[in-house]
Amino acid sequence: MQLWHSVLQLSLLASAAIPTATASAWGFTDATVSVNTKGAGVGSGLKETIPDNKALSKPVALGTADTLKVTLTAQEGRAGKHAHQVFLLVQDPETGLDISYPFNVKDNGKSRLDLTQKDLPVQFLSASEPLDARFLIGSFGDADAYNGAAFQLAVTSNPDEPVPTVEVSRYGKLPEIHHIFKTDAQSPPIVISLAFVAMVLATLPVLGGLWLFLGANVNHLPTALKSAPLPHAVFLGSLLSIEGIFFLYYTSWTLFQILPAVAVVGTVAFISGSRALGEVQGRRFAGLR
Amino acid sequence: MQWSLSFLLFCFLAVVHALSSSGNRLLVVLEDAAEKDLYFTFWSDLEARGYDLVFQSPKSDQLSLFDLGERAYDHLLLLPPRSKGFGPSLSPKNIVDFLNKDGNVLLALSGKSTTPSAISSLLLELDLHLATDRSSVVVDHFNYDTLSATDKHDVLLLQRPGQLRPDTKAYFDGEGVLALPNAAPHTLGDNSLVAPILRAPATAYSYNPKEDVGAVEEVWATGSQLALVSAMQTRSSSRFTLLGSVESLQDKWFSATVKTPGDGKETTTANQEFAKQLTAWTFKETGVLKVGKIEHHLAKDDLTSEDLNPTIYRIKNETVFNIEVSEYSYDKFVPFEVPANDALQLEFTMLSPFHRLKLEPSSRTENSTIYSAQFTVPDQHGIFSFRVNYKRPFLTNIEEKHEVTVRHYAHNEYPRSWKISGGWVWIAGLWSVIGGFLAFVFVWLYSEPTSAKVKKTQ
Repeated sequence: MQLWHSVLQLSLLASAAIPTATASAWGFTDATVSVNTKGAGVGSGLKETIPDNKALSKPVALGTADTLKVTLTAQEGRAGKHAHQVFLLVQDPETGLDISYPFNVKDNGKSRLDLTQKDLPVQFLSASEPLDARFLIGSFGDADAYNGAAFQLAVTSNPDEPVPTVEVSRYGKLPEIHHIFKTDAQSPPIVISLAFVAMVLATLPVLGGLWLFLGANVNHLPTALKSAPLPHAVFLGSLLSIEGIFFLYYTSWTLFQILPAVAVVGTVAFISGSRALGEVQGRRFAGLR
Repeated sequence: MQWSLSFLLFCFLAVVHALSSSGNRLLVVLEDAAEKDLYFTFWSDLEARGYDLVFQSPKSDQLSLFDLGERAYDHLLLLPPRSKGFGPSLSPKNIVDFLNKDGNVLLALSGKSTTPSAISSLLLELDLHLATDRSSVVVDHFNYDTLSATDKHDVLLLQRPGQLRPDTKAYFDGEGVLALPNAAPHTLGDNSLVAPILRAPATAYSYNPKEDVGAVEEVWATGSQLALVSAMQTRSSSRFTLLGSVESLQDKWFSATVKTPGDGKETTTANQEFAKQLTAWTFKETGVLKVGKIEHHLAKDDLTSEDLNPTIYRIKNETVFNIEVSEYSYDKFVPFEVPANDALQLEFTMLSPFHRLKLEPSSRTENSTIYSAQFTVPDQHGIFSFRVNYKRPFLTNIEEKHEVTVRHYAHNEYPRSWKISGGWVWIAGLWSVIGGFLAFVFVWLYSEPTSAKVKKTQ
């Protein structure tokens, strides 16, 4: 218990002592950022001075043929000194993707970095928002490292050229697919169908009327029924039942149900028909037809 | 009787001991027996969770991952070797064979010594890449432990990792800070089988302390491109985990007091909890999915057992598909819940999917969730299959395929012609012809010729 207390006290003491020990902190001075377009004259591009340990307010545009040059002098406290880590950290605020570019550091802390679009990952070329560029300056020992915003880097591209994109395959959910069904068969408006049905059915009265006009009659019916009543009745009945069987086949019966029925009724029609037609022949011989 | 009794007893013992869903024989490869005591808490945690630990030196003659062609161990834990490599019995080929036979591997590296090229080539097989010098160490001047690494900044202090993506499960999250001393970094290939568990912060970088020049001017990878702990799950769902810092498993770091630079407060590390999560995941105590019953049937109310899983469907049938999924969590199966932005999807495919639908949870049992979807069979006949292909980072793969035939309408399943209003004209035409025929027969049989006309024609 006592040991624990003394450890706690020691650590408290140590934590109180540290801020005084780390009085020095890393920073930078003489920082400039310039953009030169390849082929354009010297001094034609943009050149800005970044205030010490602060950020440039306006974004820096980097085109496809441009070279970005960043120079700075790393300082520990107020003295220029060479740091182990002098990086330009470029980060996409949307995706969080980050990459660092190390500076070329001299012993007196003077550092420079050249950057073109070819050095950037493909994902940055299609970024819609300007990228955040930060300076990371730090080294071993107890001096506080510097991590602060430097400027915003807008990657511009030639509108005529397609922006390269990258496709990665990762396990994840896939877009939903719903099958698109073929449309059902359509019927014309029912009024049109009914009109044509009426036209088709109107042919029957027209036919009957025409026959009557030409002199069709049933004058021989009593004669026929008197001389051969059974064959005529059975023959006409069997013709009607054949049509009735066809109607049943259309509505509900199967082929093997109608075949025996048709065979029976057909035989009846054949036998009774030959008798009935014999009677008709008799009328013709008698000179009635 | 005795047979069945002893079998029952055997089953009971197996249940008691098998805490991992895939066995409890764990081989620990440790070169220096003296180092074993440094990890005392780690070993006892593993033993408390039911593992049978077998310690072997890579130089030992008896060391073999296989016995008569079968795995001799279920899991393998490799600590970094002191010498050039692990030796012939742990060659990259043997370890890959072990993975192919559903063994799980946890490999720990250290930035203190150069990683042998044999390990580097093993990692290459799994699309994990070490720096070319193989002796890099991660430093971060912003997130280091000010108490133990005041000067060298090589003890990284990191938050516990959360979700990898918004649609994955977080198996490694929690409160607290992780301390990773002397971490050897690696990068991941562009591969859907590998997934980072813990990445370095954006301000971190790696360098080789042996060829130290004044400043880092050539970097291999920086920031969050550097992975410190990564996982690779094979297609057969065996797992390989790479831990960059073996020291983080030591007793010293399980309960160390650390402090971040700046105004950080002193905290104790959460390494013990993280080591538990990491080994639990690697040795299949978490993130293991099991498919139970799969049922599909027509969408109707009164189902009998004959209606389940028919081999044939008709086009445009309303069909219901159910799948039962459970997830193993440390020592039991629990109902599996799909992460918030993810979806368990059912595909109805013939060569390519015709339907890809989200399976919604419809009911839960004590240790499983039943997911179901209802859909209309596409209007295309052929041999289709119900497919559930659920592959996600940190979860074992579900790949289910159930084939069914889809037939088209039988001739008596179409609507009758009188139900089609456009067909009425043809039906009326047919029956008017029949009517006309009967009338003609009647008139022909019984009509008397009109004598005037007969004379005219004669």
